[in-house]
Amino acid sequence: MKKLLALALGILTAIGGFVDIGDLVTSAVVGSRFGLTLVWVTVLGVVGISLYANMAGRVAAVSGRATFEIIRERLGARAGLANLAASFLVNLMTVTAEIGGIALVFQLVTGISPMLWIPLAGFGVWVVVWRAKFSALENATGLLGLGLMVFAVAVFLLQPDWGHLAPQLIPRIPATEDGSTYWYYAIALFGAAMTPYEVFFFSSGGIEEKWSVKSLGEMKANVLVGFPLGGLLSISIAVCAAVVLLPQAIAVTSLSQVVLPVIQAGGTLAFAFAVVGMAAAVFGAALESTLSSGYTIAQYFGWSWGKFRRPAQAARFHLVMLIGLIIAVLVLLTGVDPVAVTEFSVVFSAIALPLTYIPILIVSNDKQYMGEFRNGMLTNALSLIFLAIILVASIAAIPLMVITGAGQ
Amino acid sequence: MRAGRVVDAEFQLIDRQVIDSDGVPIVAVDDLEVSDVPWNEDLPRGTEAPVVENLLSGPTLGTRIFGGRPPESRWQRIAWKHVVDVGTALTLDAPADSFDASWTERWVRNHVVGKIPGGHHDPE
Amino acid sequence: MILSDVLRSEVVDAAGHRLGRVADVRFRLEGPPSASRARMAGIIVSPRTSASFLGYERSTLDRPVILDRLLRFIHRGSFLVDWEDIHRFEDGRVRLRKGYERRSATLPSDDE
Repeated sequence: MKKLLALALGILTAIGGFVDIGDLVTSAVVGSRFGLTLVWVTVLGVVGISLYANMAGRVAAVSGRATFEIIRERLGARAGLANLAASFLVNLMTVTAEIGGIALVFQLVTGISPMLWIPLAGFGVWVVVWRAKFSALENATGLLGLGLMVFAVAVFLLQPDWGHLAPQLIPRIPATEDGSTYWYYAIALFGAAMTPYEVFFFSSGGIEEKWSVKSLGEMKANVLVGFPLGGLLSISIAVCAAVVLLPQAIAVTSLSQVVLPVIQAGGTLAFAFAVVGMAAAVFGAALESTLSSGYTIAQYFGWSWGKFRRPAQAARFHLVMLIGLIIAVLVLLTGVDPVAVTEFSVVFSAIALPLTYIPILIVSNDKQYMGEFRNGMLTNALSLIFLAIILVASIAAIPLMVITGAGQ
Repeated sequence: MRAGRVVDAEFQLIDRQVIDSDGVPIVAVDDLEVSDVPWNEDLPRGTEAPVVENLLSGPTLGTRIFGGRPPESRWQRIAWKHVVDVGTALTLDAPADSFDASWTERWVRNHVVGKIPGGHHDPE
Repeated sequence: MILSDVLRSEVVDAAGHRLGRVADVRFRLEGPPSASRARMAGIIVSPRTSASFLGYERSTLDRPVILDRLLRFIHRGSFLVDWEDIHRFEDGRVRLRKGYERRSATLPSDDE
């Protein structure tokens, strides 16, 4: 059990990256419209984020320097500030979406309007961020979030026609959709898998856990277990939707359609697992993005930060997060659709992605930071390939978003 | 820090994290204050080269990016003599609270965070 | 003076020809026994751009090879000018003495 808990950081990071409220819905949408023809994108995303989270984690463990410190140090104050602005907006939009998502999950179970749940959810996130130890936070949400495994189980319970499903794995554009929409969702899925806040959270979380050179093995295990698991959960949701929703042309407009396949497969018990999993995953994502907003700002400006410090010892860090949460709750109370908010964060992610990963790649090669733990040739080669993909995705994201009307 | 060692300002000093004697982050270096040299006039041969007097942080960041110069009274200074190590971060010889530059952290601590219940407690 | 008054300034020789921009300012640590002073030793001039080297002009960083080659290419022709060869500081400009010497800009690796 203790070994499993040691992987909680990786699992929680991945959950926040692959099955937060935006991804829960998007995965189901993608499955219901494109079948399995976009699964390859998630797989690609898992490889990419594993590569870069490992590098950022290694830099944090060996040099003790956090990712946004490196971003400012290497890119300079100006480019660093551009990244900070973009990343902070992404984080803020994500926090808003996740708190809204927590309210949506509670609505799914109780039927009570989300408006009543929103302040409660915001307060809940705040209390955990303010008082809970980092390890308690990651263990609880990481493990409960694994309830989402019920989607994977449901795929088998639904007894799909594998001969019909398997060919869908070959990437091709379905007849019912057009090319630009296909590629828009491909970029959205890839961007969601590699969202910078996962790297900020993972490496800062590593410093919270006081990683050192001795922790490199544990860090690698976190990456190799967490991110593939996150990808698997996201793919399972898409497969469930492909099996149940696609043939009946059911459109995904809310969480009810997302869980429909699970209820069909395993009834109320499966539904209960799914709800617990979703609530924990979305709550975990809320924690992850809230903490990331604190980490990024504090590390850029050089402030003291960390959950391992009491709030009085990291005052500005905690204040920034409190302000972010208040803004998120106020925005939600105006009635905006939380999931729609995440669609616009794609735009800012496109800016933040290259400005985040270029410094990480460079610094993980720098002897002054890494000593003997610099990147090997294979890591560099793969990282450069992914950097090229990231640059292409960043450039294409906004035009595609405009052309397709964000995936209509 | 070894005497004779060479350090490039933009690369190794500016935009670097400054940590105190306990490893707690204090500020990032936004700029450097260097002793005065004659400006707009020829330097006679043999003029002594200037030295770094202070690390600067705070409003100097905004003006470095956007232009202009904040009034000298607003500059947050950390004297160079407190720097004991120049590595991936700059390490100082005393705890954060003993420096003027940590005033915003202390202000938020005393006026905001300290007033919220649990602000002074370790996380549980 | 504030260092960013000098950083990115134009650099011209005694005849007024533009040589490039100040990409960095080099200091040498001096004073016994632990270096308590950082004295200006010279300026790094880059002919094409004052943008960052991203660390690639240092001997501690030379990988990935593609980025190394790219950054060195962008900054080719960069050189160090000693303090003694600086003639005059002006707003946005540094003038060098006649007969200034171009030195290697590579930062020597030091034991950390």
